[in-house]
Amino acid sequence: MSKEQSIKRRNWNQIGPYLLVAPALIYYTLFWIRPVFKAFMISITDASGHLSLENFRLVFQDPTFIPAAQNTAIIVIFSVTLEFVAAMALALLINRKFKGSGILLFIAMIPMALAPVALGAMWKTGFTTHGWVNSFLTYIGVLDIGEKIIFLSGESNTKNLILIILIDAWQVIPSMMIILLAGLQGLPKEMMEASYVFGANRWTTLRKITMPMLRATIQTAVILRLISALQIWLTIVMLFGFGRVPVLLSRVIYYNEEVPNLANSFRMSSTYSVVIAVIITIVAILYLRVSGAFGRKNGGESA
Amino acid sequence: MNLKSMKKKANLATIYIISVAIIFTILIPVYFIFSISFLSTREAYQYPLPLFPELRSKIKLENGERGVLLSIYDKRNDEYETLLDTTDFKKMSTYMRVNLSLNYTPEELEEKSKLLLTQTQVVFKAGKDVMHNYKTFFQVTRDAVPALIRSIQIAIITILISLSIGGTAGYTLARYQFKGKHTLKFSILFVRMFPGVAIAMPMVIILANMGLYDQPLGLSLVYSIGSIALTTWITTSIFLGIPVELEEAAQVFGATKLRTFINITLPLALPGLAASSMYAFLGAWNETISALILTQFKPTFAVVVYQALYGSTGQVNLTAAGGICMAIPTLIFTFIIRKYINQMWGDVSV
Repeated sequence: MSKEQSIKRRNWNQIGPYLLVAPALIYYTLFWIRPVFKAFMISITDASGHLSLENFRLVFQDPTFIPAAQNTAIIVIFSVTLEFVAAMALALLINRKFKGSGILLFIAMIPMALAPVALGAMWKTGFTTHGWVNSFLTYIGVLDIGEKIIFLSGESNTKNLILIILIDAWQVIPSMMIILLAGLQGLPKEMMEASYVFGANRWTTLRKITMPMLRATIQTAVILRLISALQIWLTIVMLFGFGRVPVLLSRVIYYNEEVPNLANSFRMSSTYSVVIAVIITIVAILYLRVSGAFGRKNGGESA
Repeated sequence: MNLKSMKKKANLATIYIISVAIIFTILIPVYFIFSISFLSTREAYQYPLPLFPELRSKIKLENGERGVLLSIYDKRNDEYETLLDTTDFKKMSTYMRVNLSLNYTPEELEEKSKLLLTQTQVVFKAGKDVMHNYKTFFQVTRDAVPALIRSIQIAIITILISLSIGGTAGYTLARYQFKGKHTLKFSILFVRMFPGVAIAMPMVIILANMGLYDQPLGLSLVYSIGSIALTTWITTSIFLGIPVELEEAAQVFGATKLRTFINITLPLALPGLAASSMYAFLGAWNETISALILTQFKPTFAVVVYQALYGSTGQVNLTAAGGICMAIPTLIFTFIIRKYINQMWGDVSV
């Protein structure tokens, strides 16, 4: 009886886990692997159904492709750098438990939680010439009464990009600050104290002790941020439409929603989305690699 | 010693100054869109925009050249602004509703203006219909109400799928050692990083073949992909936090595995499961790209608001009302699940 039971248990321990994760595996086979494969197939099939790189040629020859790729790259590089530096500085400055820190942390969660559409509405009502940003600047005395800044003239691409990066920073810095703060508060204080005892100044301690110990948190925060920065589009479209400041993702929506009836609309948006997926996959693999996901089996460090 | 405590106080002061600066920077835009959503159309066309929406307006009726002269008191200039001169009370009623967010029937206005036979002017304070923009948004935006219902449907189906599939996977990852566990864990993380747009495009064909294109269920299937991954991550850490000894004790007393799970483990895991459901809800509620691509005649609420915003140029107060409708559920749920928020951004510490 008891032997029978223990055999039963052993069998369950061998097969059971696989039975329990089977639904997830089946789901991912049907609704993740299959569409990914399909997307890939669509991108390498031309209009007549033959295998070719025709679609990629079309995308790369799309006159808007180069500006879209450039804008995306500029937004990603500058916004992620700015956001990380600012968030790190803020996290270091307020790294202490204090009365009201709960309120600060909750408010800092708001920007990331807001729906892209709600953010779009917020900045659209803000940056029109008669919007609340100019009104606010008038109330605090930065602008004279009746004076207005024209934010969305769209003449200078640099100005547009700066605006987009600032808007993105508003949304991202607070939440990145929370992640880094959580990481900082998990560090043992003794190491930093020891470093001060041995005569290191703040900057050296930060560079030599705090940052290396925070490496895992920083990697997580930055690379996840890179991935979402590659997919910024809605606020840009709300403020500038599809044409003035194109980014890679807005091209997908452009072909799908604005000109859905061109002969190659569907293949264009599909191929654009494949291009985005490839870029993000590279970033994601890079992330999994540095976070130690691949090295684990060889006794690599635990993440 | 004294110097040290002074330094400490100065540090604390710095922390408070920075905190207040952060809070203001975050809340000012949020405040403005909230405040704008309650402005009447007349207020929305003023510049600079009013800081606070007026709750009551002072209205004056006089005998005009053509008929009855309608004026409203303007706080800024401390004088009445003349708006309309008409004998048509229906027109006046419509004008007041559309531009001033004031609800008066033509009969009521006619009644009031009868007083003008005996006096030179009639002045009255009128309570503004604060929800006017919200009502108008739902009236003028085609499909807003059915889209709202659809969005909730989609969110609920997504929660059910991701809790049942992701929850089971999470429990397994927390309780069992098996070959391929790490591979599974990191494939799930990878799925979560994969851009939704690259799934949505091919899904147009796949869902069309299944007869689910432009259907709430089809969109739920797509949202569940990311949401199962997230639920698995969250529930793994929740079940890891529930001591195995409790389950073993129950089994010693003769409970079956299933019974132990239902009576012991599940109740303990409930708060965490609730949190992951809310993440699933937020994911489905906020999502726009897949919804744009995978719907045509049956859009979600996010799509309806997107289209209303993208098309509109002048009506900032309606735009703001639409945005707030999207933001309210998000803010409530974020407040409830604020403890679990770190996992939302893929906190990978296992």
